[in-house]
Amino acid sequence: MLTFLARRLALALVTTAAVVAITFALVHLAPGEPFVAGAEGRFVPPETVERLRERFGLGRPLGVQFARYAINLAQGDLGESFARHRPVADVLGEALPNTLLLGGAALLLSFVLGIGLGIVQAARAGTLTDAALGTIVLAFYSVPAFWLGLMLLLVFGEWLHWLPVAGMTDAALHGTLSTLGRALDVARHLVLPALTLALVNAAAVARYHRAAMLEALGADFVRAARARGLAEGRVVLHHALRSALAPAITLAGLSVPALLTGSVLVESVFGWPGMGRVAYEAIFARDYNVITAVAVVAGVLVALGNLLADLGVAAADPRVRRR
Amino acid sequence: MIVASGDADVLFPPSGAATTSADIAGLVFSRLAELTNDLNTVDDAGFRPSLARSWEHADSTTLVFHLDPRALWHDGVPVRAADVAFSFAVYTDTLVNSRFQPNLAAIDSVTVRDSLTAVFHFARWYQEQLYDATYHMKVLPAHLLDTIPRDRLASSAFGRAPVGSGPFRFVRWNAGADIEVAADTGHFLGRPRLDRVVWRIVPDFAAGVSALLAGEADAIELIPQAELRDRVRAAPDLRFVPYASNALAYIVFNLRGRGGRGTHPVFGDRDLRRAIAMAVDRATVVQSLFGPDGDVPVGPTARAQWIWNDSIRQLPYDTVEARRLLDSHGWRDANGDGVRERGGVPLRFTLLLPTTSRVRQDAAVLIQSRLKALGVEMRLQPLEFALFEQRSIRKEFDATFQSRTLDASPVGVLQLFGGEGVGQSNYGSYAGAAFDSLAHLAITAPSRAAARPLWRQALETLNDDAPAVFVLSPPFVAAVHRRFQGVSIRPDEWLAGVAEWYVPPQARLPRDR
Repeated sequence: MLTFLARRLALALVTTAAVVAITFALVHLAPGEPFVAGAEGRFVPPETVERLRERFGLGRPLGVQFARYAINLAQGDLGESFARHRPVADVLGEALPNTLLLGGAALLLSFVLGIGLGIVQAARAGTLTDAALGTIVLAFYSVPAFWLGLMLLLVFGEWLHWLPVAGMTDAALHGTLSTLGRALDVARHLVLPALTLALVNAAAVARYHRAAMLEALGADFVRAARARGLAEGRVVLHHALRSALAPAITLAGLSVPALLTGSVLVESVFGWPGMGRVAYEAIFARDYNVITAVAVVAGVLVALGNLLADLGVAAADPRVRRR
Repeated sequence: MIVASGDADVLFPPSGAATTSADIAGLVFSRLAELTNDLNTVDDAGFRPSLARSWEHADSTTLVFHLDPRALWHDGVPVRAADVAFSFAVYTDTLVNSRFQPNLAAIDSVTVRDSLTAVFHFARWYQEQLYDATYHMKVLPAHLLDTIPRDRLASSAFGRAPVGSGPFRFVRWNAGADIEVAADTGHFLGRPRLDRVVWRIVPDFAAGVSALLAGEADAIELIPQAELRDRVRAAPDLRFVPYASNALAYIVFNLRGRGGRGTHPVFGDRDLRRAIAMAVDRATVVQSLFGPDGDVPVGPTARAQWIWNDSIRQLPYDTVEARRLLDSHGWRDANGDGVRERGGVPLRFTLLLPTTSRVRQDAAVLIQSRLKALGVEMRLQPLEFALFEQRSIRKEFDATFQSRTLDASPVGVLQLFGGEGVGQSNYGSYAGAAFDSLAHLAITAPSRAAARPLWRQALETLNDDAPAVFVLSPPFVAAVHRRFQGVSIRPDEWLAGVAEWYVPPQARLPRDR
């Protein structure tokens, strides 16, 4: 198991390093530069641009810049944000926990929903229920997350007033609430953005899980369980479900990048102060250090997600550990 | 509770570039004097006292400010003339790289006569000395900043938690989420009538408007889309507050060849530019995009600027004259492909436009169809914003669809179309000696009344030369909850009068208390 873990960890490090190198090259080679013109094209004198480029070392050859960046990164220094005038680590340090909260909630919700739907569909395979749920799942799978977010916001926020429309807290009253009140305030604000991300992802989970359940329900051990006279509910939930969960663990790891990319627009729609929004704004501002750092963090999260998924599958299936 | 579409970048006024930063700096910091709502940038009567309780022109190049002795920083330290001199030094220091530095170029120095008297020394006389001395520069607290290296001021802790002398004091900033300021109850000009102002950051405009309609927020500065304006207009709890626009969108022709060299084969010809300008039905474009709310610009200006006058002469929408001009210059569709040509060269050009602006994309499509009917092929090239700006600055374009939020002062037009702006913000490289001369005469005219006709002539000269098509000035419409009273909006800084807004006690919500 240790060898397996070391191998996977090394692979995760190599993947992250590759993400850093590729992102660094892409953002620096992409057309458009920071500092050249401010918002609304206010003229920035060339000497000012030159001074700023010098200060941030942008005039040096790309290889030199990358070497410097890599050395700083190895020491935990992500550089300074050009646009926000502060260390990138501070910027991400504030945004990352919010994204993890949103992503974590969405991941959990999407798997609860997706696995539940997959079970029902598989258990009712070929029936009208299966077809209806399949259509609904396909519809959610097809809609863009930001559009779904706007619709949820319109219905549950603006029309029904059930849930807050935007933000992570009630900006006016949060500070006056008790600890429990604050937690509930965050939870209320979390519902719509998490549900938006979860519904799209749940659709994918449901489709995979339906297939896995169908395979499991046709397996010999399930037939044996049925032959022993077990109730169908127990057969499905106790025997087939356990066997069909292994692909879901892998899918959970693979869902991390989808949730991260999905959060870029969903965070903007719901005013959720997370990393996706930081990335979105940094791209427009050509804030190189922030863009690269977001890619680093995202790369680490994805690698970590995959690693955990691998470990989960390995724990569940001894054959994987021996490979 | 205000909905803002973007977070602040830094709350150190010389370095803040974001709109929200400027809004907050406007409440936390003070100027020496404040513009009044009619944005008269020329006459002293257009300003009201702020940190300076009075001022006088000692001679043609010396402006003396007498500070209000009651003025305090929010930490209790008195505001003194040394703070004014320090602020000028910071704003003009190349290590700070303030974007306002060019606006202060005409001020040679700021000296301290005594603790309550600051003296501005100008290189020359011109109308807007008072405006330049007061508008661009917020006064900064020297006692908190003078030990910090200048190139570290923006990234210092002060930039995240500023101490000013304005009517509101900074309270908190949750990055990406919300920012709060609270009334300075002991403010020397009187306590603001609101206890606090909170900005909630919602990047998506539709979601921002939903927050307003759901009652989670009270005010928004701008509602850019017509369908969102209609929803707000129909909301019984919200007041729809139109105010004079200071924004302008215009198509700049590159008069030189690509990269700024030589002469452009199409736009180097004045008559050709005029013909194309006359073929653009701007009124229909504005009506299509904004209904009755938008303006057709009378030149490189907007309604919020005092030089705006509906009767300024412009090129008319006249396709007959446009055709005649093109025909007379030998541009004819000889091969019947729908595009005119001359000497085998088709009358075709590319318009750059940013993918971030839906308004400009829609306007470009409408204009494209009008030009096509004239036999002119305008190809559209939407570009990501940073690339769009880069290509425009480097003059790698035939035509570029620009947009500007204009200053209160009209002088900025010289940067956009004057000879002094060539190589800088004058992307099209138009250099009209007559326009430059008239504009400079207007700048040095003794009063606004004397300057008006000169600006008028300058703009009419520019319009005649058609270095650009001034396509549209979008409507500025704010929405404010009806429980707020005393609401007034100054077009250049919509929250400049927020200290006078109030909510009657019987109308207060829990978040107002």
